[in-house]
Amino acid sequence: MKRYLLRWETALLAMLIAEFAIFGMINPRFLNLSNLLYSTSDFAQIGIVALPLTIVIIAGGIDVSFASAVGLCAIVFGIANFFGMPLPVSILASLAAGAAAGLFNATVIHVSRIQPLVVTLGSLYLFGGAATVLSGVVGASGYEGIGNFPDAFTSFAYFELGGLPAPFLVLLVEAVILFIVLHYSRFGRSVFMCGLSEHAARYSGLPIKTIQTITYVMTGVFAAIAGLVLSSYFGSARVDLGTATLLPAITAAVLGGASIYGGQGSIIGTLLATLVIGYLQQGLQMSGVPSQISSALSGALLVVAVALRHGSAVLADFVAARIMATNRKRAAS
Amino acid sequence: MLDFFARNRVATLCAVTILAFLLIGAAAPGYLSLSTASVVMSNSLVLMSVALGTMLVILTRNIDVSSGSVLGLSAVVLGMMLNDGHSLGLAIAACLLTGAVAGLINGLLVTMLNVPSIIATLGTLGLFRGVMLILTGGNWIEELPLSLKALADNGAVGFSVLTVIVIASLIVVGLLVRQTRFGRYFYAVGDNREAARHLGIPVKLVQIAAFVAAGVLAAIAGMIFAAQIGFIPNQAGNGLELKAIAANVLGGVSLLGGSGTVPGIFVGVIFLTSIDSALVFLKIPAFWNDFIAGAVLLLVLLLDGRVRMAVDRAIRAKRYAVHHHNTPAPSAPTNSETMSKSRTQEAGE
Repeated sequence: MKRYLLRWETALLAMLIAEFAIFGMINPRFLNLSNLLYSTSDFAQIGIVALPLTIVIIAGGIDVSFASAVGLCAIVFGIANFFGMPLPVSILASLAAGAAAGLFNATVIHVSRIQPLVVTLGSLYLFGGAATVLSGVVGASGYEGIGNFPDAFTSFAYFELGGLPAPFLVLLVEAVILFIVLHYSRFGRSVFMCGLSEHAARYSGLPIKTIQTITYVMTGVFAAIAGLVLSSYFGSARVDLGTATLLPAITAAVLGGASIYGGQGSIIGTLLATLVIGYLQQGLQMSGVPSQISSALSGALLVVAVALRHGSAVLADFVAARIMATNRKRAAS
Repeated sequence: MLDFFARNRVATLCAVTILAFLLIGAAAPGYLSLSTASVVMSNSLVLMSVALGTMLVILTRNIDVSSGSVLGLSAVVLGMMLNDGHSLGLAIAACLLTGAVAGLINGLLVTMLNVPSIIATLGTLGLFRGVMLILTGGNWIEELPLSLKALADNGAVGFSVLTVIVIASLIVVGLLVRQTRFGRYFYAVGDNREAARHLGIPVKLVQIAAFVAAGVLAAIAGMIFAAQIGFIPNQAGNGLELKAIAANVLGGVSLLGGSGTVPGIFVGVIFLTSIDSALVFLKIPAFWNDFIAGAVLLLVLLLDGRVRMAVDRAIRAKRYAVHHHNTPAPSAPTNSETMSKSRTQEAGE
């Protein structure tokens, strides 16, 4: 029991419940079930990219290029659709673009041996620029969107199964798959090993490069899925679809318990953190708080939550050290 | 020759920049002129100031991604003070103080609460932007007084007061990190924090100082922004933090801390800014901007990484060769001989 109570995920769940309670008191309509379910469509994409990002971070890397990969993959889909490709082919092309983006990141990181943050910062510009250039190809120059999608595609985001809207459903299915992959597979264990100590992982014969490459490719593919979901939701593919997910997604991964130094993190934590962040924005909006204050509050939330986590760890170390010291003194006397 | 370029990222980037300038000048006559240089310089001032502050933080093996929001917040403080009728000097002082306080918050979070700097500044990025929006109520600040805009005017000499301010801060920071004891601490703390602590260097104080300096420099950038543009939009400084980090990386500042120079920052920023102006001259649509910037950044990194690895390998091979040659010799005194031998070998190549 204690094992479950003292987990970070429990704290996140408590945060989520506190949010529901507070916002429910301010505005009872917030707790309306259909509102709770449908507002997920506004932030499901954050979770869709934050979950694979968590795995990248656990493996000791980081990826910031997913934000523009989302737009790039959406544009690739839009162009394929523009040239009259059938829907499945367009979707496949978009997913392939995402995988290629991830593979590109991993290759550059391994060939140049430069920190992943720097490399993906470069590809953040590169992919964003490529998306803008590509959208110029079909005449939608600048930041205009590519539209005219078939109805089957645009209705997807509004489709629901058992009351759950499709974007949220995508997030849940993804979470289940990645949960099994990360926590119950050999690959998942080696991801943790890579992040904890790359040297130890190498000496125990793990193919580190392959493992890290897979994590980046996964991020690219899920960025493509986020791009598809967003283009379906908005009815058009735009270059800047993913830019707004950059900071919230990293926030979700870190708030969810992923250590930026690698080797620590969980899928459930990131999923819960996504909900905490998403519902915070929604709840503040419904309580009539202007959007500018809500952005300050969510920034403050991240700082406070992470400071609490690190502060409590520092405090625990301190207390443990004091206890050790007194014990030693007692033993000596 | 190759060795020199491989060891010196600034020289490489300088050569690439000059080459690029010459090529563009050949393709678009009229590009190579004093007026272009003046435009590039004044366009680069904001980024230069932010990148300089970011360098100080990166030197101590931290990172600051909140500088864009600090810029916006301090610019808003400046604008609101001026529009309330305060004097220019007082408003600028308040603006710089805002930057310093913002930097202090970052520094305390990182050193006292042990929050990893990327997370702490990611949080304050949202926090400061929000505080700025609360202050303005979501409105743009317009109708800034002429006294502020006059700072951006190019006088008879072709450069403005702002240029002088930025050049002065480059020189001050350059001298600080090269010539003073406290400045060398930045490198020591970033290179090996534990060793620095054992040497008795005030590790936490140095890190806080870096964050405060970064905040003040971001505030200076905010002042430049307000003076040049003449109004302060809500998204002032948005995304500038990433550009500043990119300029640092281009300029040879290692994100692992402990290495980087002010001239590197200067060349890196000028390079990034001149891409924009070159595109205008080459009549390439502006939407190629990000693509080219990203491609150049990655290309420089890739080349740099490969060349550095090759040079390291060559040096190691040389050392082993000398060692191998030396081992059969029976007595110790050959040591100095080998040293001089290896030195002549190096000089010969």
